[in-house]
Amino acid sequence: MSPLSITSRTLAAALGGYGLGALAAMALAVTLPMARDQAVIIGIMVAFLLCSGAAIWAFSARSAWQAWAGILAPSLLLGGLYLWGLPA
Amino acid sequence: MTMAPPLFLALALAYAGLTSLSLAMKRHHDQVMGRKLQPERVRYYRWPGWLLLALSLWVTLTVWPLGLALFMAVGLVAIAGLPLVFLLPYRARLAGRLAVALPVLAMLTWSTVALA
Amino acid sequence: MNKSFRQSMAWLHTWTGLLLGWLLVAIFITGTSAYFREEITLWMQPEVHDSTLQPGTVELAMAALNAKAPDAKSWDINLPGARQTAVELRWQPAKQPENGGRRRGEQMLMDADSGEVVAPRATRGGNFFYRFHFELYGIDRLWARLLVCLATMFMLIAIISGVITHKKIFKDFFTFRPGKGQRSWLDAHNATAVLALPYHFMITYSGLLLFMTLIMPWGIDAAYENDRRAFFSEVFSRGEDSAQPGSPGQMVAVGPLIEQTETRFGKPVERIQLTNPNRDNAQITLRVNRDPAVTDRQRGGDPTQVFQGNTGELIDTRIPANDPVSPGWRIYNFFTSVHMARFADPLTRWLFFLFGVAGSAMTVTGMLLWVSKRTQQLRRDQQPDRALKMVNGLNMASITGLMLAIAAYFLANRLLPVTLAAREDREIQVFFIVWLVSLVHGLLRPNRHGWIEQVAAASLLWLAIPAVNIFTTASHLFTPLAWQHAAIASFDLVCLILAALGGYTLWRLQRKPLPAKARGARAPRRANTASEQPAGESP
Repeated sequence: MSPLSITSRTLAAALGGYGLGALAAMALAVTLPMARDQAVIIGIMVAFLLCSGAAIWAFSARSAWQAWAGILAPSLLLGGLYLWGLPA
Repeated sequence: MTMAPPLFLALALAYAGLTSLSLAMKRHHDQVMGRKLQPERVRYYRWPGWLLLALSLWVTLTVWPLGLALFMAVGLVAIAGLPLVFLLPYRARLAGRLAVALPVLAMLTWSTVALA
Repeated sequence: MNKSFRQSMAWLHTWTGLLLGWLLVAIFITGTSAYFREEITLWMQPEVHDSTLQPGTVELAMAALNAKAPDAKSWDINLPGARQTAVELRWQPAKQPENGGRRRGEQMLMDADSGEVVAPRATRGGNFFYRFHFELYGIDRLWARLLVCLATMFMLIAIISGVITHKKIFKDFFTFRPGKGQRSWLDAHNATAVLALPYHFMITYSGLLLFMTLIMPWGIDAAYENDRRAFFSEVFSRGEDSAQPGSPGQMVAVGPLIEQTETRFGKPVERIQLTNPNRDNAQITLRVNRDPAVTDRQRGGDPTQVFQGNTGELIDTRIPANDPVSPGWRIYNFFTSVHMARFADPLTRWLFFLFGVAGSAMTVTGMLLWVSKRTQQLRRDQQPDRALKMVNGLNMASITGLMLAIAAYFLANRLLPVTLAAREDREIQVFFIVWLVSLVHGLLRPNRHGWIEQVAAASLLWLAIPAVNIFTTASHLFTPLAWQHAAIASFDLVCLILAALGGYTLWRLQRKPLPAKARGARAPRRANTASEQPAGESP
């Protein structure tokens, strides 16, 4: 992997991965059909798994572009889910 | 320390089970038994191995509440397994003999304490 | 699973392991010691060693509290147990700070035999290492915790990538090939990592969970509209605030109540809480020791009985199982309780200590493996480059250096004058000075000689601890007092075991260095392809 690729993937894993986790935590917290304290904790636990999963993805994807795409796409979905789940 | 005897038994059974599973592998069978492993005999080591591990799990269920017991049972694999791993290259035959001696000793201890 | 996936995971594993590996070694070692933090603190306060629970201890405790704080809003008595020898007395003074400042309780230690107040030497005890392992020391708390969290996430990624890249994880489950340099270190790393893998995953993931409000609070804000207080009160509800003190009243004798509770639960009462003592609306809460780690709610977990303090009438009996917890929180509680080995009895605690040792061994062997591999790849007349020397030196500091510093901390506890000002800080300063010296030494001598020197020094210091104990306390290994309480004797025994381990390591290190052939001199071409593996792939 070239230094540029490594840098790009590292950013994808760190920033993108964290963002993915945060959005998952938020989306799950407001959309899961259960008491909100339970939704929150499940969201948090999933978020941490997604963060580490994002890192695995970022460094195993075929290219740095794919690394970013594989993290940004679900992030957007989760962001949308969060907005949809927000109380009116 | 009433949980010491069953804990010892759980560890001994885990050790025995792990040793048995290791004997199902060519390299370790050669180390311990001094002769080659026949492919058809692999299951003679695998089945008892898993059975002993299951028994170890069963004993841990008597020591800790369910959730913790499941975790500890797996943890005991580490505590029983690491000495085995480091014994195999140096004292393979002893490692094998312990797989028989330890559970026997543990059962004797447990029954003595239980009957006392 | 294709080769390049494994290779990229090997790369990731190496980097996430190496970058903060030294911090992870320190976290694991100090964290492992934290399982016994109360016992360590006990050992570091010899003044309280000669104290044993008596039938009359509770009365003595009540008398002491009556003498010291008769008007307090509440009293709290922690009786001696497996982890402490003295009675811990706490109380909430009647007058609280006006402007809503933190409610400051007061406390003192009491000898269980004589009822006298004990003033042990000032020390942070085992709590220094406990706190260090998640917020370090001397650094801004927030940044320290964030750094630890970053290391924890690196660790989690290292675990996952390590499992993916370990090609023969089942076939090599029991494999250990000694005397083969880098291969041996790899086997040791694999063994300690794979055999205790569930523990390593648990300890790492739960470490993140324990810091969730710091590093992943966004779900809380989202669901509670930024009202975090509402979240905390819903989940971590504190006990009900005690009622206002009534008029003066007579307290009933506690002894019979203790008997009642002990009969009810079949366990000794460990803790006695009295709200509004010496008032006519006094309440006495008796708590017994909990069962090992449970998934119940944090504070409601003790089996307790609550009595009216003036009449002795039983008001309430609380049992953990009756407190319902949702599945999500059960999982959280399980992870966090197991991380801290909460409610663990001594034997279970020892097992957790061993798990932690396995984890420490995993991180240590990982760091040593990296150096060993690069060293073996050097050609016969090639010198290690600066990076390799630096990593080797840093390894020394974080492994043998840390063990040296910990031993020095304990020695300082025995050797520093009891009346020394700022004694707590001095002990900690000794720790850091020794650690710093070991770092400098490691960077100056990043070779076999340096390792031998540090291992020898560490063995000496660990051996010195029980020895110095003989001259400075009345509770060393040759006295009956030390053996009365398991924790006290065990401490010295562990010191001896560590010294013995150091001695054995020294003996192995002193033997002739590996022959040049095994160290990487590539005379026959065929040997190359066998030993020159792509980075990280298991042979």
